[in-house]
Amino acid sequence: MRKSTLLTIVCVTVMVPMLLLGVSIKENKAAQQAINEVPKIPKLEPRSSEWGKYFPRQYETYMGTKKSDEIKDVLQGSPELVILWAGYGFSKDYNAPRGHFYMLEDNMNTLRTGAPLNPQTGPMPTPCWTCKSSDVPRLIDKKGELDFYTGKWARHGGEIVNPIGCADCHSNDTMKLTLTRDYLKRALDAEGSKPFAEATHQDMRSLVCAQCHAEYYFKDTEWTDDQGQKQVAKVVTFPWDNGMVAEDIETYYDQRNFVDWTHALSKTPMLKAQHPDYETFITGAHGKQGLSCADCHMPYVREGGVKYTNHQIGSPLDNIANTCLNCHSGTEQEFRATIAEKLARKDELSRTAMDILAKAHLEAKQAWDLGATEEEMKPALQDIRHGQWRWDYSIAGHGAFFHAPEETLRVLGSAINKGQEARIKLRAILAKYNAGDFQAPDFSTKEKAQQIIGLPYDKLVEEKQQFLNGLKQEWFKQGAEKGIYDPKSREGMELKTSYPN
Amino acid sequence: METKKLMTYVSICAVATVIGTAAFLVNESRMLSYLSSDPKVCINCHTMNTHYATWQHSSHREEATCVDCHLPRDSFLNKMIAKSRDGFNHSLAMTLGSYGSNLRVTDDAARRIQDNCISCHQEAVSQMLANSELYQHGDADVQMGRRCWDCHREVPHGTTRNLTTAHNNLGVKEL
Repeated sequence: MRKSTLLTIVCVTVMVPMLLLGVSIKENKAAQQAINEVPKIPKLEPRSSEWGKYFPRQYETYMGTKKSDEIKDVLQGSPELVILWAGYGFSKDYNAPRGHFYMLEDNMNTLRTGAPLNPQTGPMPTPCWTCKSSDVPRLIDKKGELDFYTGKWARHGGEIVNPIGCADCHSNDTMKLTLTRDYLKRALDAEGSKPFAEATHQDMRSLVCAQCHAEYYFKDTEWTDDQGQKQVAKVVTFPWDNGMVAEDIETYYDQRNFVDWTHALSKTPMLKAQHPDYETFITGAHGKQGLSCADCHMPYVREGGVKYTNHQIGSPLDNIANTCLNCHSGTEQEFRATIAEKLARKDELSRTAMDILAKAHLEAKQAWDLGATEEEMKPALQDIRHGQWRWDYSIAGHGAFFHAPEETLRVLGSAINKGQEARIKLRAILAKYNAGDFQAPDFSTKEKAQQIIGLPYDKLVEEKQQFLNGLKQEWFKQGAEKGIYDPKSREGMELKTSYPN
Repeated sequence: METKKLMTYVSICAVATVIGTAAFLVNESRMLSYLSSDPKVCINCHTMNTHYATWQHSSHREEATCVDCHLPRDSFLNKMIAKSRDGFNHSLAMTLGSYGSNLRVTDDAARRIQDNCISCHQEAVSQMLANSELYQHGDADVQMGRRCWDCHREVPHGTTRNLTTAHNNLGVKEL
């Protein structure tokens, strides 16, 4: 055989496996690409069921928050609260929180948000939506922060129709955790101990929660709109500049003469704590050990070979075996008993503080009625302001008694002290006006307490019912027309309120 | 004469095609990258994604890369021989699709890994090594008669793992 023929045969023989290998590499690359592909979800897609198509386990567990549907009227259980919050929305209606599935619904249904008739009517401002819906980051992205925070709550009805969901914590590009509310970044940088740029993945597993589970206030911010009109935006702001301890935040508010509302009975310039969960968590043992919110509230689940994060966010006590017992030895019963004890200790001091502060408000009202002067009242009112702030700070975060028991009891102790200081001062004023033996009226039920503060409960309920059957329905229709409303987010939801509906 | 001339051209073309295909393969398979010890090279092929992901979430990530455990480290020559042999076997398996959903180490690979475990954790296991000489060996293939990962099952790839999924595996995004 000729050399050239031989060479050709050898070449062809070598070519066959080489080409096969080439084909296999091409196939492998295509498979690799398919595996690594991030699902194509539009930026800030508010409909969680769209994300759920690609992450069924996470979505299904998130929808499990629907199971927490019980309405518990907190005012009924603690009528002192009605006195403490006289003149403020919380004296109208306050229920224990339900699952994330219900947050938008409860925001619309509570008597606190009133019964607006059109986009311009009140009583609440737009930032009250901020933590209720995955439509918020979308709307902020569209309108800009200042525009979003301007106007009345009802202005964004029809745009905000889905509860908190996937888009609030995850980036559509990478599925990584992301902050969708810039005020938290600003607060972290202002506070300084953990600037946002230095946040690790483990930090993010708490920070996405801290976007909403933290203390905030609405900071009036002037801006000029497209038409050249001066507007005032109520920008959600965290009061962390001096630190996150109760007294640090109290100082922050005092320095700015900030007032959430003026008390209807005692005329005290009041502060309302929201839910400083993040602030208290980081001072407690678990926070100091570097745990994140997700470690206990979103434990890993194993299903066959797949491990994922449980998105049915709720109390870790519902799942002690898969939360506490991951790190601790001991039995479920022991854990329940320990935690019940912590709660009872907090409740004892909280009840004492509420009783003292409620009486202080009523005694202050009596002093005013008898003709006490502003100058006489000021020191006592300052004590009431500080006392109630501290009490509120310790109990407004529902898990504070567990997250940071010592700190919570310490702050409650100082609230009781401030309240008693106020009452001593008030007793001296009352004595001066010959009312040294004044006894505060009976506020032992929600009805009695609401009567004392002159709350037109039946009227509020009637107006609210009209809103629920009117404008609220309208909003979901508008949302559906805009193609942003996810009907799955309300599937099987019943109207539940603590007032007759 | 005519045929002879034609065959010469054909053979030249054939050689050129082989060289071209080879060059194409070197490029497509990122062949040169296999000379490095970057763990990302091992996920040139998606089959290794779960192994990469589990390693990346393990304590070994900071100290040891794929080759630190899986290739012999006694001499450069042995390392290169092992690398070439593994590379050939892997290409063959990929091309023929002759592998299942669960990859298991060969006895040869197990021996290498075990030697590497011992070489890094020398101080911790020196006494065990000495003691093991006194007993009958369960597995003659590996030093100390029992594989480290028979007990340390989570190290470093976790216990629940196959080609389709693994702990902490939301896909490898570095590519």
